[in-house]
Amino acid sequence: MKNLSRLLWAVLLIAPLTLSAQKEIVIENKDLTIDVGEKVQLSAYIMEDGKKVDGAVVFRSRARKTIFVDSLGIAHAYKPGPASIIAFGAGVRKNFEMTVNFPPIAEIKIDAIPERIYAGTPVQLKYTVIDKAGLVREGADVKMTSNNEKVATIDPFGNISTSVPGRATITASIEGIENTVRLNVVDNPIVKIELDAEGNEARTGDVFHFTAKALDKNGNHIEDAPIYFSFTGISDDVSSSASGLIKQDGRFVADQAGMYTVTASCGVASAQKTLKINPRDVARKIELVGQGSVSDKHTSDLWIWEGQDGRDYAVTGTWGADGTAYFWDVTDPSNIYKIDSVQVDARTVNDVKVSEDGNITVISREGASNRKNGLVIIDSSNPRDVSIISTFDENLTGGVHNVFIDKGYVYALSAGQKYYVINIKDPKNPFAVSKFELDTPGRAIHDVWIEDGIAYSSNWSDGIQLVDVGNGIAGGSPENPVQFASYAYPSGANHAAFPYRQKSTGKFYVIGGDEIFPYGLNMKGPNMAGGFLHFIDFTDLENPEEIARFAIPFAGSHNFWVDGDTLYVAFYNGGVRVVDISGELMGDLLAQGREIAFIIPNDPEGYVPNAPFTWGAQLHKGHIFYSDWNSGLWSAKVEPPKPGNVKIQKK
Amino acid sequence: MKRTRRVLFALIVGLTIQVAHSQNYYIYVTAESEDEVALVKFDGKKAETIKRIPVGVWPAENEGPHGITVSPDKKHWYLSMAHGNPYGTLYKFETGTDKVVGSTQLGLFPASMQISETTGLLYCVNFNLHGDMVPSTVSVVDVDEMVELDQITTGAMPHGSRLTSDGLKHYSVAMMSGELFEIDALQLKVSKKFNLDEAGMEKMEKMEGMEKMEEMDHSKMDHSKMDHSKMDGMKGMKHSKFKPTWVSPHPTKDLVYVAGNGSAQVYEVDTKNWKVTRKFETDKGPYNIDITPDGKKMVVSYKTAAKTGIWDLETGKELARLDNSQKVTHGVAISEDNRYAFVSVEGIGDDPGMMDVIDLEELKLVDTALLGKQAGGIAFWKQEKE
Repeated sequence: MKNLSRLLWAVLLIAPLTLSAQKEIVIENKDLTIDVGEKVQLSAYIMEDGKKVDGAVVFRSRARKTIFVDSLGIAHAYKPGPASIIAFGAGVRKNFEMTVNFPPIAEIKIDAIPERIYAGTPVQLKYTVIDKAGLVREGADVKMTSNNEKVATIDPFGNISTSVPGRATITASIEGIENTVRLNVVDNPIVKIELDAEGNEARTGDVFHFTAKALDKNGNHIEDAPIYFSFTGISDDVSSSASGLIKQDGRFVADQAGMYTVTASCGVASAQKTLKINPRDVARKIELVGQGSVSDKHTSDLWIWEGQDGRDYAVTGTWGADGTAYFWDVTDPSNIYKIDSVQVDARTVNDVKVSEDGNITVISREGASNRKNGLVIIDSSNPRDVSIISTFDENLTGGVHNVFIDKGYVYALSAGQKYYVINIKDPKNPFAVSKFELDTPGRAIHDVWIEDGIAYSSNWSDGIQLVDVGNGIAGGSPENPVQFASYAYPSGANHAAFPYRQKSTGKFYVIGGDEIFPYGLNMKGPNMAGGFLHFIDFTDLENPEEIARFAIPFAGSHNFWVDGDTLYVAFYNGGVRVVDISGELMGDLLAQGREIAFIIPNDPEGYVPNAPFTWGAQLHKGHIFYSDWNSGLWSAKVEPPKPGNVKIQKK
Repeated sequence: MKRTRRVLFALIVGLTIQVAHSQNYYIYVTAESEDEVALVKFDGKKAETIKRIPVGVWPAENEGPHGITVSPDKKHWYLSMAHGNPYGTLYKFETGTDKVVGSTQLGLFPASMQISETTGLLYCVNFNLHGDMVPSTVSVVDVDEMVELDQITTGAMPHGSRLTSDGLKHYSVAMMSGELFEIDALQLKVSKKFNLDEAGMEKMEKMEGMEKMEEMDHSKMDHSKMDHSKMDGMKGMKHSKFKPTWVSPHPTKDLVYVAGNGSAQVYEVDTKNWKVTRKFETDKGPYNIDITPDGKKMVVSYKTAAKTGIWDLETGKELARLDNSQKVTHGVAISEDNRYAFVSVEGIGDDPGMMDVIDLEELKLVDTALLGKQAGGIAFWKQEKE
């Protein structure tokens, strides 16, 4: 009995305390479902001890692109879907869900199809579903039917197959909204396809341009005949498939050596052409020539140049260390040695660049102790005795990641969002003359490279930007940069860009490099990168086309260099790759056997031992110089190409 | 009897000392140029880094861990990574395991931050160290879901994000525009803006400045010959003379303490009437401030002088000005028992970062822990008996 009464007392004592701890937000809105474009005043109060008490309740949305809640507590519905809302007051909060209804479907827009469709030829039906808010409904489950399946049928992906002449109506419907398109399937007059291409034998990676003509029984050319290109093949290597890439404009490239048959078809008429594809056979030996070791800190970028005295020099930066840049004599690439250094207030000298005459070196600063970063201008006219001329940090205090020198101007990245153009014609008195910045939301920039008065900047998700800074193509100058072309690719990982004007074809490519680290971070051991090089054909500046790629499995691209028709690219853990980029480019360049050579700088004495992480590469007087994050500066040489089709006489 | 009392007294004193010395203190410190966070343990005598936690995702890019704070329940710590493409990121870690459990994108160069016990939200200044002197923001984050709920616009280069002990008011300063901002942590609105340069000039400094200006003879200046063509980038810029870098509210009074990095002063500002009530003349470059939980002492890092100042808030006197273990003194965090101040010291170049432990009773530097380069943000996690 005593125990029971104690328990009752305890309950009575605790109960009010428990009640007093109960504080909650009560949402007054009954209906938390709204339509796109609608707005609703959210209302709530605080309950404490079971009673409504005074106290402000504030609302915010956790899904601001769906519902935005303003400072007055009004919820604005922007797009369909669920949205979590948080309501909070002093010492109390509550989460609740709101839903923005999908607006009713308003329309199914169907793209135009040919007025006449030749029996037996396929047609792709393309459509867009629009709702009453004017938004495109992605992934809408549109039903498509044909009212005359003898003439035409349609599959769930919009592919129309035609059989015999006649009329058919295709109906696309969803949620009671429908649209129709009438097909006029006519006799197919095509009895013959003429297929042609330049030659019937080539190497992997060589691009064919097929032309196909559809002819009627009288030999007349049917110009509106839809011609479909495809290929089959047998690889010379029994364990490989005969892969390649074919475009519907007739371009074809093969990856593997073997026999390929390209087919052009229009209905039942078709033509084939068989090609013999030989190995590209560009692989050559590469030899390690020398190393200038840096084993006490990370190494960043490099630049190699011929000095005023005719000797060859290099400058390298350092990363996450003491702000040093090293100057090297590389005249004998097998005997690379340090000749001077500069130390600035920084932790990272990420980039180093040298003027055309070799007299000025500019290095970037990050991690300055006074948080005033920027760039440092150095007199390198005597690389054995370099000296700082001036520093420049206006608008660059957050850290300069990359720089470029061109004709007395430095292009320096600032804020990760723009680059400034700085006049250094009087290197003691540098001053900014202009800046280039996009106006896209979340714009970001990583690198800039100048050639022939065009600045090629790498702008992550905004892709490659081509800006006239003196070329004249768009009336620009360093003081007035004018953007005139761009290309962005879906991964949004554009980190570097390098122009490549191909003399043999007249094509103008810009190579865009990714920087991605999909395998995580390892500060104590080897790291792996991802990403690859994208080859963009900018020959038609208004319609750039991404046409080829160079990717190394389980490694990622960083900085690169083109000399003649050869690409030298640092692939982080994949070392330096030397790639034949001669001739028209299309498809997977690695699969095509275009890699000439590779070399991986593995150094057991490295800053992180045996952890190659190659930063950049540059060709200079026949030698490849490359910097590695963990081991310093290296040189290598690719053996000269063997003359083709020459049989060596045996004694 | 007397002897018994003495023995008892000695026993109590001994036990007290024993208890004091058997405490272990744990502090998280960022190493901004190492992309690392150190967990430092201090046992009353010796401070040592017991764990180095690599942070970030890019091996070849310095992401710059800057601000750090521990949640009121001590279950999580939060880290702002300054650099991104272009925006920085807030990471949420579990204390103890130090595993990442969430992240969200904030603004340009997110820096110092704190969580309100009242709203449960995190308030982080977007420092935007990138040069453009434009107003930046304070990000408000729901740390349960790691979603940024709002960005509240304040001034140019906001820094020093601290809340009152009731969690209802948030204070930050704008380094370049020289302003102190009070944000209503519930309403998520700026409730007060205070011009620190003007406030400082109200008494002595205004006179000094005016006298100097009056001494100038502008009639003899030919402004037309000045080259203004290169000053486009300066349009709209204001460079505060006071250059505030930090603000810490008093734990029990309506006072905040603002570090004037440019003027070698700390202002005490009464937030009831928005007046500067006291000025503390410091050594060069006061940067961060923390107040002991009992409200009696203020500890100020003197970044330029590489020293730490300890002030008695009641008397307004500087009790000690101690040399730090190396250059570039940065952040301050104080133990819950009011006994120790933990001060991060950046160093220069490849100097290791350091964390000095200062005994606030003995007024001396006790020990130093070594960590990665550019030790910056610092947060006290916990103290526990051995």
